[in-house]
Amino acid sequence: MNRHSTTNAAFELLPRLCGADIELGNFIVGDERAGGTGYEASRALLAEIDGLPLRQAGYVNNCWTAPSPAPRAAYSLPSGSGATASACIYNPQNVSRRFLLRNGGCAYIDLDHVELCLPEVIDAFDHVAAWHGMLRMMKTALDSANHKRPPNRKIQVLVNNSDGQGNSYGSHLNFMISRRAFDNIFWRKAHYLQFLASFQISSILLTGQGKVGAENGRPATPYQISQRADFFETLQGPQTTFNRPIVNARDESLCGRSNMNDPSAPARLHVIFFDSALADGSALFRVGPMQLILTLLERGLVNSRLILDDPLAALYNYSHDPALQASAELINGEQLTLVELQSAYLEEAKRYAAQGVFTDVVPHYEQILALWEDAINTFAKQDFMAAARRGIDWVLKLMAIERSMDQHAGLDWISPEIKVIDHLYSSLDNDGLYWAYESAGFTEPLVTPQRIAYFAANPPQDTRAWTRAMLLRRAAPDSVFSVDWDTITFKLRGKYNWPSYRVFDMTSPLGYTQAEVQHIFESTDDFAELLDALESDSTERTLTADALAAV
Amino acid sequence: MRFLQRFNDNQQSQGNGDGDQGSDGMLLQLRSEGDSLLAAGDEAIRRALAGSNSEAFLRTSRQQGGE
Repeated sequence: MNRHSTTNAAFELLPRLCGADIELGNFIVGDERAGGTGYEASRALLAEIDGLPLRQAGYVNNCWTAPSPAPRAAYSLPSGSGATASACIYNPQNVSRRFLLRNGGCAYIDLDHVELCLPEVIDAFDHVAAWHGMLRMMKTALDSANHKRPPNRKIQVLVNNSDGQGNSYGSHLNFMISRRAFDNIFWRKAHYLQFLASFQISSILLTGQGKVGAENGRPATPYQISQRADFFETLQGPQTTFNRPIVNARDESLCGRSNMNDPSAPARLHVIFFDSALADGSALFRVGPMQLILTLLERGLVNSRLILDDPLAALYNYSHDPALQASAELINGEQLTLVELQSAYLEEAKRYAAQGVFTDVVPHYEQILALWEDAINTFAKQDFMAAARRGIDWVLKLMAIERSMDQHAGLDWISPEIKVIDHLYSSLDNDGLYWAYESAGFTEPLVTPQRIAYFAANPPQDTRAWTRAMLLRRAAPDSVFSVDWDTITFKLRGKYNWPSYRVFDMTSPLGYTQAEVQHIFESTDDFAELLDALESDSTERTLTADALAAV
Repeated sequence: MRFLQRFNDNQQSQGNGDGDQGSDGMLLQLRSEGDSLLAAGDEAIRRALAGSNSEAFLRTSRQQGGE
């Protein structure tokens, strides 16, 4: 079959499933050793997080990745998932990964940063709750790690994306899209790529965490909107650690070993552009509007007016202008400010919402649109206080910094104390500024504490993450040989007690939901029988166009 | 330079015109309430500024690039 001739219209109806892999800043306060303290801090933190597969004592101190059953696509960069069954490889980007029994997500060490991976969710509001649930888990790990350490060697964790010294680390999102849309964006339709890139750039208005100063050789600035903007150097590409692209072309489907060659199977869009969010507003606007815009791309509803002439230059100029006066040129010659450009995308989404384009595709799209419009309006009215209270991180951080300069004579933008406040805004510990504002009720919550508590201890009910977590809870811990997003390999006892390796396949991210399989879990206490029953269940879980069309 | 002052100035100049009085009243209330809630961070900022050597803190916060 010619993959590019596929018309699999059913994929246009796929919910925009979302996952996330988010690195944290971690270091030991007061330790100025050459090379930094990320290595020690990240390992001390990860040691406090339980998960599977188990490792021998001390495993966290080495860097061997778990074997993975099969090679990934040629276009993916080296990662843990690129290993083969017959070889363990050293991979500093995937150290000691353990999947979490509590919610089906995972945690590991990536280049000396603790990295948290959220379980797959469908609803943008669930993403916000799951993110805060993971932060709650991480805070417990931090407290536990620090409790064991001497007072002068405490670990600090920052939920940010830059150290202010030229180093950036990611806060990635992953969206399930059709293979056709993926190919259109990266291989067939340049204006799709430009439309997506321009949208992402305009999104810093609502998703930026803000930071003091510039990095990566950009012109000096007192304060800018995005932590990440300075680090993007090209429009698209598969790489993430150098020459960073606005739109990342890494192609790892994470839903089936052979899907890269299957035109009817979904793809993963790996989004490396956004900052980490603390406040609910910014956290929601990383995901909800992306789900809407990706739906437009799936449907070919791409307004080629909304394309920046020079996306990288626009990104730098917009980010370096928190007064929001800068404009950038579209390819048709129009000059739009950041607020105007983001508003234009909102209007596109509203127009198609009225035609039912998002119905049954993006959960709670009406609420997302309403919140999106309300947030943009705060900027259109130049009402920073309202924007901060709606949970826009860069505005709240800016308010905190300017207030501190007002209250403490002698401080200015170049004062090291101001950069410390910048960092401590995102501190996960009790000195974290954001948490002080949240506790006081300054920011308006978009999810309930109960929902956050749910995701701190439980998986999403409507994706395969539910079955992943339940299988890990049910299995004997030492029988879990390896875990990946779409498979779990169990080491069971076979004939004559010889080990028998059994791979349980969860190709479809939308399959094996609680509603589909809870009754199977309740039907038997025997683990092998449970796997048999799950595998023989007749529920259609293979994400093929035919299957979807039949729904 | 204060970015927020610039915005407040712009907003006041806009608000002197034909704004909806009810809406303006709500905004004023939101802003007033926000000002008092912002004080929630003052203690944290005071601790941050008093508790440590900022330059040393920044030196130890150096990270390896990631992703």
